[in-house]
Amino acid sequence: MTDRRPILEVDSLCSGYGALQVLFDVSLSVGEGEVVALMGSNGAGKTTTLRTITGLIRPMSGHVRLDGADITGRPPETLVPRGVVMVPEGRGMLRDLTVAENLALGAYVSKDKAAIAASLDQAYSTFPILAERREQKAGTLSGGQQQMLALGRAIMSRPRLMLVDEASLGLSPIMTETAFNLIAEVNRTSGVAVLIVEQNVLALDLADRAYVLEKGQVVATAQGAEVRTMQGRLREAYLGRAAT
Amino acid sequence: MELLSQVVTGLAVGAAYSLIAVAVVLIYAGTKTLSIAMGEIGAFGLFAGLHWREEGVPGTDYHPSALVAGVIAVVLGALLGLVVERLVMRPLVRRPPLDGLIATLGVALLLALLELKIYGSDPVSAPSPVGNRVFTVLDAPLPATRVAAFVLAVVVAVGLFVFLTRTKFGLATRAAVSDPTVARLLGVRVNSVYMFAWGVGGALSGLAAAVLAPAFGNLTPFAQTQFSLRALAGAVIGGLDSIWGAIVGSLLVGVVETVVQSNVSSSQNGYASMAVLVLVLGTLLVRPRGILGTTGVA
Amino acid sequence: MSRELFAPRARPPLVPTVFGILVAAVVLLGPLLLKPGKVSTLVTAIAIAITALGLDLLVGTTGQLSLAHAALLGVGTFSAIGLGGRGIPWPAAFLGAIAITAAVSALIGLPSLRIRGLQVAITALAFQIFADSYLFQQSAVKDNTLTFAAPSFFDPAQHGFRRLYYFGLVLLVLTVLLLRRIGATRAGRSFVAVRDVEQRAVAFGVRPGPTKLLAYALSGAIAGLGGALIAFKEGTVNDAGTFNLQASLLLVAIVVIGGARSAVGICSAAFFVRALPNLIPAGYSLPVLGDVATTIPIVFAALLIVSIVGNPEGTGGLLRRARTGIEGLFSPPAKRPSPRPRPTDAVAAAAQAADLRRVSRPLTERLPVPALLVARNATVQYGGVRALSEVSLEVRRGEIVGLIGANGAGKSTFFNAVSGLAPVTGSIRYRDRELVGADPARRTRAGIARTFQDMGLIRADTVRQNLLLAQGWITRYPASAGILGLGSTIADERELRRRADLALELFGLDHLAGETLGDLPYGTMRICEIEAAVSTGPDLLLLDEASAGLTPDEAHALGDRFLALRDELGLTLVVIEHHVPLIARVCDYAYCLESGELIAEGAPEQVTAQPRVVESFLGKGSLRETASAR
Repeated sequence: MTDRRPILEVDSLCSGYGALQVLFDVSLSVGEGEVVALMGSNGAGKTTTLRTITGLIRPMSGHVRLDGADITGRPPETLVPRGVVMVPEGRGMLRDLTVAENLALGAYVSKDKAAIAASLDQAYSTFPILAERREQKAGTLSGGQQQMLALGRAIMSRPRLMLVDEASLGLSPIMTETAFNLIAEVNRTSGVAVLIVEQNVLALDLADRAYVLEKGQVVATAQGAEVRTMQGRLREAYLGRAAT
Repeated sequence: MELLSQVVTGLAVGAAYSLIAVAVVLIYAGTKTLSIAMGEIGAFGLFAGLHWREEGVPGTDYHPSALVAGVIAVVLGALLGLVVERLVMRPLVRRPPLDGLIATLGVALLLALLELKIYGSDPVSAPSPVGNRVFTVLDAPLPATRVAAFVLAVVVAVGLFVFLTRTKFGLATRAAVSDPTVARLLGVRVNSVYMFAWGVGGALSGLAAAVLAPAFGNLTPFAQTQFSLRALAGAVIGGLDSIWGAIVGSLLVGVVETVVQSNVSSSQNGYASMAVLVLVLGTLLVRPRGILGTTGVA
Repeated sequence: MSRELFAPRARPPLVPTVFGILVAAVVLLGPLLLKPGKVSTLVTAIAIAITALGLDLLVGTTGQLSLAHAALLGVGTFSAIGLGGRGIPWPAAFLGAIAITAAVSALIGLPSLRIRGLQVAITALAFQIFADSYLFQQSAVKDNTLTFAAPSFFDPAQHGFRRLYYFGLVLLVLTVLLLRRIGATRAGRSFVAVRDVEQRAVAFGVRPGPTKLLAYALSGAIAGLGGALIAFKEGTVNDAGTFNLQASLLLVAIVVIGGARSAVGICSAAFFVRALPNLIPAGYSLPVLGDVATTIPIVFAALLIVSIVGNPEGTGGLLRRARTGIEGLFSPPAKRPSPRPRPTDAVAAAAQAADLRRVSRPLTERLPVPALLVARNATVQYGGVRALSEVSLEVRRGEIVGLIGANGAGKSTFFNAVSGLAPVTGSIRYRDRELVGADPARRTRAGIARTFQDMGLIRADTVRQNLLLAQGWITRYPASAGILGLGSTIADERELRRRADLALELFGLDHLAGETLGDLPYGTMRICEIEAAVSTGPDLLLLDEASAGLTPDEAHALGDRFLALRDELGLTLVVIEHHVPLIARVCDYAYCLESGELIAEGAPEQVTAQPRVVESFLGKGSLRETASAR
């Protein structure tokens, strides 16, 4: 479906919690440098998809491939060394640790001190607010600042693929807009591919391609210009003006 | 100055308890499990070391000195801690904390009963690993073991502090404690953190056994569990999520215990146990999170 | 014996019954073949089994761990000797021992009033060690001059220990019946609620602190009974080894290996570890393991570890599974049931509904304003985060009000504020009575019921048990009367069951009454939760994302249910929903929250048309700057 080389391929994934199956044959892909959106409302299975991809849950069947290599069910600790980072739901702040410590952990797997220092400088210049508060505990930051810290931490390891889970959670529309803008900029400047999982259709403004997830199944896909059309249709569906 | 010398002795006693208390808090912070097995884990290694001191290491003619026996206790304690973590505690990671507590109870019971079986119920002689010199500090007679306990407690506290705040693995440990899932997503091997907590915890228990047993001259099964209760009380009073709290709480328990015992004569440990009970009960009713604890721990 | 005194049980199938008869035969007739010394050991084993059952009441239901039960056993023994030895007749000495031990146990459990965690176990451990090293050493306590003389009917010198043994068996059976009885009362259901859903249980009117304390007291009372039995048998105490730390740890092992809430499992485990070593001929030893008598406790300890890691339900769980398996062989497994459509007989439905509504509760007179719930500047702040900010809204009697907003907007927080589960400032008045600052447990009594986003019911219990728990506030009988079945207990329980069955019928779920909640499909579980809320007889019903996880058809049917609840039961509803079409169809009025603030209110169509609401849910038309650069 894409003409770019795929980094991430999800193939007929069936997953869930214990006896409860949540995902039914979900397939998607993310190519190099792309921004791909996975849209869905509450309970559609978005977070389950990401948790299965990152190995927090074992799938019932199906495959997850990274650069062609099968990583299905591999534990999350192996992701960062392979160039995949995730910004979890709620931003995943380590609340008792400082901003600087959170950022340092972003580069935990790296051993190159010079590269780490360079990444840190870049993070501080991209997000000056973080530089101001580097000794502050992460739990005391506001929602928007935490979002910045989460993104800054994510790019510390110079990843090739970034998974973002509901960046808009708990943020006002203005902050959400800022967050999406930041993600778009990160994608533009460093070329990192992004899989953004969202409820908020505004995310489609960033996307090169999009999937819609409903009750654990992919019910629609779109590419390029079709993405705008999909955005309009989703908006109407949420408002109930279309027949339900 | 009677009281002052009692306090000094109490601090030294508390210092020995703090070794176990730190082990408990380390494990609690890392794995959300409250472990009551630390006493017997330490005792088991010490039993082996002291037994070999008397009978010789099986297959050889070597009789380790008391000091070497102490080292054996530390090493065996660490090994035992790692084994317990891998076989018993890791499968329980996603279960409610009560299950973990019960598992450590099983470990304590099993180890104590094994000690009874292997070494019999006669106490094993436990001489001091650091000689018998008695120092005098502020009019208080402190045997070498108590001084050693104090020094060790300080070293451990400082060492852990430096480790946790200045090293990369220490940072990873704090991350795993704060949020294991997020830590895993950052590439931290959380299982390694658990192993570290239990390995160090086991070693500390062995250390504690080596310095506590000589005070009574001998070692019996279940005796170390009684000491570990003092340490647990100290950890709870100080606050289960704070290493400094564990130390402060243990020192407090040591002081109260010694002062009560010196001033109210009775059979061994009698009134001291009552004092500990009152202290724990009081802390949990008045300030449940402990002196230095930060949250209403679940 | 009236079936209503105990929880109704299904008819047992053949094989386990035969097995049971065999076991009963061995238990009753075995001692006739044994020497007196061995029978004496059996009596002690029975006392241990009784104490273990008491510990099970504490651990198995409320999830509190006591490491002091052997010490409590000792307290019972010494109390009984202390009383009986001074000439008090033995039944009174028994009761005295029970009461004293219950009081001591409650004292140990005091911290559970304030904390939920495991630290309470430390208090018990401290008491055990205190008892070992001080209490039981005191000459006043172990006064060897006192002897508790059992009546000559039981005199061991004449009758061996057989009569004592059968006496002990009677006590054991009474204990088991007592525990079953407790399980069928309101107190028993509260115990389980405290373990599984502690904070939510408050919504049913359960107070966790006093409930736990009651559990400690009852558990201690049973241990006291065991202690009195030992005193009865021994006369004096020569060896305090039965009451030491090792014994306490073994008691926990007995409960875990035997299986929580399984009387058979626990008694077997007690026998295994206490009686078996003495029944084996002395000096018998195995090749590697050595002396069997000392090996058995070691095996037991190892079994404890294996049990808690691999088989947490213990032997009891294994037995239950075996029984279900055997039952399955004789009858085909039932198909997974689902809710039936509601009865279409309107007249019958209305009559049923009216019946459900009749709950006697002090109601205020005619209200001056039609508003049932009024919030003014309600604010909830957690540390630095304002989850709810100066929210003012009104819910009128007979309305269905929708509460919408993006995730994290504060909708559930508002419900928590109304329920008293969140720290709120400002004012929330219900029937013109201020809720802020009032005891959360009184909400149900006042007429407010709610459901939770993630299931506030007990999955391990049956549907009916959950409904009975939910209605707990309706009955008033005290725990002690409840256990003995005195006063209005039987009538009250009958009424509760009737109401539960009625609620089940109304929702078309009566055929699921006996099913374990956790086994049902997710959608059905959610409906049961609504049912439980309705069965408390409320005036105001708060439903939190009831449509989450439902298929479009189920969501549509849910909308019908909302309307029925309002039209037939006269309830006022506030529903948190993401499904906008559902809101548009059933709601009379809607409020939209965003980041803790109220940003719109009005008729649903008006609210969803407002630009700000659209933005909040769906975002702006397009991103500025970046979008054009792509």
